[in-house]
Amino acid sequence: MNSGRKVLRMIGIYVGAIIVVVVVLFPYLWMVSGSFKSTLEIQSADFRDPELPPRWIPRHFTWENYTRINQTVRMLDYFKNSMVISGGTMLASIFLSLFAAYSLSRFRFRLKEPYVGSLLLTQMFPGILFLIPYYVMFVVFNRFTGVQLRNSYLGMIFTYTSFALPFSILMLRSFLAGIPREIDEQAQIDGCSTLGIIFRIILPLARPGIAAVAIYGFIMAWNEMLFASVLTGTETKTVAIGLLEFITTQESRWAGMMAASVIVTIPVLILFTFVQKQIIEGLVGGATKG
Amino acid sequence: MFSGKRVKPLTPYFLILPAVLAMLLVHFFPIIWGVMISFRDLDIFTISNWTKAPFVGLDNFRWAFSFDQQEGQNFLRSLYNIVLYGSVTISLGYVIALAVAILLNQKFFGRTTVRGLVLLPYIMPDSVAYSVWRFIFQSRIGIVNQYLISLGLLKEPVVWLVGPRAMTAVIIASIWKGWSLGCLLLLAALQSVPREIKDAALSDGATPWQVFRYVTFPFLKPVSKIYILLSIIWNFHAFNQFKAMLGSSPGYYAEVPSTLILREAFQNFHFGLGAAMSMGLVVLTVVIAVVYARLFQPGKTIEE
Repeated sequence: MNSGRKVLRMIGIYVGAIIVVVVVLFPYLWMVSGSFKSTLEIQSADFRDPELPPRWIPRHFTWENYTRINQTVRMLDYFKNSMVISGGTMLASIFLSLFAAYSLSRFRFRLKEPYVGSLLLTQMFPGILFLIPYYVMFVVFNRFTGVQLRNSYLGMIFTYTSFALPFSILMLRSFLAGIPREIDEQAQIDGCSTLGIIFRIILPLARPGIAAVAIYGFIMAWNEMLFASVLTGTETKTVAIGLLEFITTQESRWAGMMAASVIVTIPVLILFTFVQKQIIEGLVGGATKG
Repeated sequence: MFSGKRVKPLTPYFLILPAVLAMLLVHFFPIIWGVMISFRDLDIFTISNWTKAPFVGLDNFRWAFSFDQQEGQNFLRSLYNIVLYGSVTISLGYVIALAVAILLNQKFFGRTTVRGLVLLPYIMPDSVAYSVWRFIFQSRIGIVNQYLISLGLLKEPVVWLVGPRAMTAVIIASIWKGWSLGCLLLLAALQSVPREIKDAALSDGATPWQVFRYVTFPFLKPVSKIYILLSIIWNFHAFNQFKAMLGSSPGYYAEVPSTLILREAFQNFHFGLGAAMSMGLVVLTVVIAVVYARLFQPGKTIEE
């Protein structure tokens, strides 16, 4: 009786686990499968016709969607734009958040609590609220200085850096809090300046935390859609928005879109595996240990 | 908070200055500016000299919330839609996350692999995930209709992404994308429940349900509360899933504030109206978040 229930329980667990795996992988597999089909095969698929239902294994396996990735939609150019913008965001947010996080983890000062509070508060507002004034700001800035921020790498890097900052600062602060203060004090006694301590002592010690912040910033900029849909133009369009161009009112190029999807996902997949632990912990831990 | 160095009192301020400046420009000024724009009739002609735009008082707010004007009706409907979307996505997503977390806390062969795979929906970029789901939900070539028909649940293929079913399709895709983060957080919390307490309760004759309800669940409460609070904020501001699956104009049944405001501001050039609508969305989010926080007090239990 008891062992019978145990067997039933194990069966239940395995059935559940298989369902989880199938559900999780389903869109990934459909994406990869679609990327190797020809547009013709996808478009002519019709499940009412027993000869032509959509199939998991492509009838005619083709690399065409990958080799022609830049032809109808300039996906490689968008990929380059995304690399520049995400890379820039990554570097800028490392430096700004390193200084701020160091300050928050090492010093006691009057505006500290309000500042941390305001970091959390920014998360309460929807992106769309910032977008309109932000757009007006870009237009006004252009009028007075002649510098075009809209549809420029600089403007996008600046925007995304400040989006990444609140979370990056909180995440890095809790990491720096784990580095003993005695190390800085020793360096100070040896005549090291504050900047010297940050660059020569803290930077090397905080590498895992910095890696997490860097990758968080990169992925955030890589995936953002709302601001990219208004503030980028033909020269700066990012992959997240460019991907949608495969479907127009005239033509649905699903096969090309799936190949592009695979290419857009791969960098994120690789980067995320390095730092998933820090980001998951930081996401809730960093935000709650205010 | 204990000892801090007090060598140069200005040093900490210099160090946070760059971050503060960047955030002032991108977060704080725009909020104030947004409030100011919402009181003005700002359009494409006045945008480069926004102070010249006529001051119209609360007109934009009246417009946004008016029952007898098209824009007002659309906005009120979008608020209804986002509340519907948010409550279904968050509650179903949480239940699924909890169920899977409990499952993955059991011992079985291949558990580590399955735990690793659970992260996949969270990692997939929004635009990719929702584009793939858009493909999956296509009427004639989509695989969802194919399975539903071969299982006998449907007679005829249905149109998912236009009309009343659009919201259902987006909710399904959003749950797929959203549950995995919650599951990992809950799993981490489950692993912190001491084995001995559970065993003691079981040997005292508690049923598995009682053990879960009175022993395990209290350990999950803090992380659940924070996660649901964050989910409220994220889901009420949802944009990506609607844009990627339904395009810039999701239609009556699936219009949400973010998509509507974007069109009002950047296609119809009603910047003032868009700013007023954004304020309305913020107020809605803050009210729901505050009510939630009052009811469940997420901050409090985390300290205990």
